[in-house]
Amino acid sequence: MEKIKGKVIILGNDVDTDQILPGYAMSEPYEEIGKFAMAGLPTDDFKDNREPGCILVAGRNFGCGSSREQAPIALKQAKVALVVAQGFARIFRRNCINIGLPVFVADAVNQLRTGDVVEVDLEKGTITGPRGEITSAPVSESVLKTLEYGGLIPRVRAELGIE
Amino acid sequence: MNLIEKYLAKAAGKEEVVPGQDITCKVSFVAAHDVTAPIAIRMFREIGVKKVFDPERVALIVDHVYPASTEKARANVWTMDDFSKEFGVPLYQRGEGVIHQLMYEKHRQNPGDLVVIADSHTGTCGGYGQIGIGVGSTELAAAMATGTLDLEVPQVVQIYLTGTLPSNVFGKDLILYLGSKFGSDYLVDRGLVLTGPGIGQFSTAERMTVCNMGIEIGSMITIFGTEEREEDCFETYEIDLGTLEPQIACPFNPANVVPVREKAGLKITQVVVGSCTNGRLNDMEQVAKAFQGRKVHPDVNVLIVPASREILGQMEARGWCTITRDAGATVLNPGCGSCFGAHEGLITPRDVVVSTTNRNFPGRMGSKEGQIYLASPATAAASALTGVITVPEV
Repeated sequence: MEKIKGKVIILGNDVDTDQILPGYAMSEPYEEIGKFAMAGLPTDDFKDNREPGCILVAGRNFGCGSSREQAPIALKQAKVALVVAQGFARIFRRNCINIGLPVFVADAVNQLRTGDVVEVDLEKGTITGPRGEITSAPVSESVLKTLEYGGLIPRVRAELGIE
Repeated sequence: MNLIEKYLAKAAGKEEVVPGQDITCKVSFVAAHDVTAPIAIRMFREIGVKKVFDPERVALIVDHVYPASTEKARANVWTMDDFSKEFGVPLYQRGEGVIHQLMYEKHRQNPGDLVVIADSHTGTCGGYGQIGIGVGSTELAAAMATGTLDLEVPQVVQIYLTGTLPSNVFGKDLILYLGSKFGSDYLVDRGLVLTGPGIGQFSTAERMTVCNMGIEIGSMITIFGTEEREEDCFETYEIDLGTLEPQIACPFNPANVVPVREKAGLKITQVVVGSCTNGRLNDMEQVAKAFQGRKVHPDVNVLIVPASREILGQMEARGWCTITRDAGATVLNPGCGSCFGAHEGLITPRDVVVSTTNRNFPGRMGSKEGQIYLASPATAAASALTGVITVPEV
């Protein structure tokens, strides 16, 4: 898988799915969900720093709460390229991978700043930034395979032999 | 193997499984609601299979936004209606109740069966012995097509319960207390099993409350076992129920918990009793007992939301709706209303809520500054009467 290069936006611990995609936006049509990305965040960190290809770098338990897939879909439609966190809530993490949005578990939030440009190698498990390299466990082969398919649906289609 | 491992091994058709092992499990039932089903249907159609794995093992439920509060919400119901007719799967769309309550009332499976629902509170069914896995829409679509789910066998943490539960302490207080001990993420990718001689004091409904909120401390699977201690657990903690007191989760995380007495006296503006967490008959009984012959505080909106039409009917038969209404509270239609910020009780920065629901994240019920405290129905009802956070005397 290609390395992911982008500008960092730093976020805190326990950024929940109501912050990523608020309840009032859950009934929005699929194509419109991205407009509400991070609309529930109590700070302007995302609004002020977002750009296509940006990389979110958060603390513990990112994506805790609801199973709403609208949350990672909103991030993907808002052109977030990757989410790095010290830890992810299980359902959110799987939702990201299933829709083809890469996630990476790494202890990077205290070593990077908003605006840093980093290059992330998911296969090697490295983040290369302006102040050196951060290493973590590489993304598993199974997850890489799903991401390379572009998500779970194309992978299931391939496995079921549907052209 | 512990209980969760035994059940997962059975679902995977294996003699034995170990933590960390990747397995493919047979799924006993699949369901989604009006927030998760529309995208699941879109993804299912993208897969391109001609039928669901078993139409008798799939159900769709409209519970989050019923009656529709926007045209877009109504359009989502039509998406589900079209799918229901085309693929021959049942759709509950007339306010029958919350998905997890309807699973209990209408689609109970056998103990140990694996149920997959596109909702994070799927663990609720662990209260009656099933493995509930919450997933997102895409994973649900795949399960609906294949009848299987890939997962990794979790490490299992055991809570061994002893002692006698005080009369004003409930399942809600137990799971909030576990949040205060573990924090919001200790159980991510782990399972939680509750055992020990103390579990007999928890009814099925109370057990459902405990399992419902396992996700708020990260748990992948939460389930009640037996009075016997489970072997082969990653960790075991013993809790003497006699030492517990009523608990309350403070803004802005369900695991930010203190004893209710530490917040006693704080002025409130709204009370919500309901949801998949605490909208069952035993919860409504606490409300009726507290409200009988009394009035709620004039500065407080009190919203009572039964988890199903069946429960609402039982409340009516017992005269509890009249008691509640005469006390100055409002009984809303069964469903998820008031819990999650789309309709039926949105709040401003001036509001302070005591709710029996499961989340108090910023903006969960409207304003990002609005304060939500999570507690048991007994604590919520006692607070509704006084207008301040109050330790219940039951």
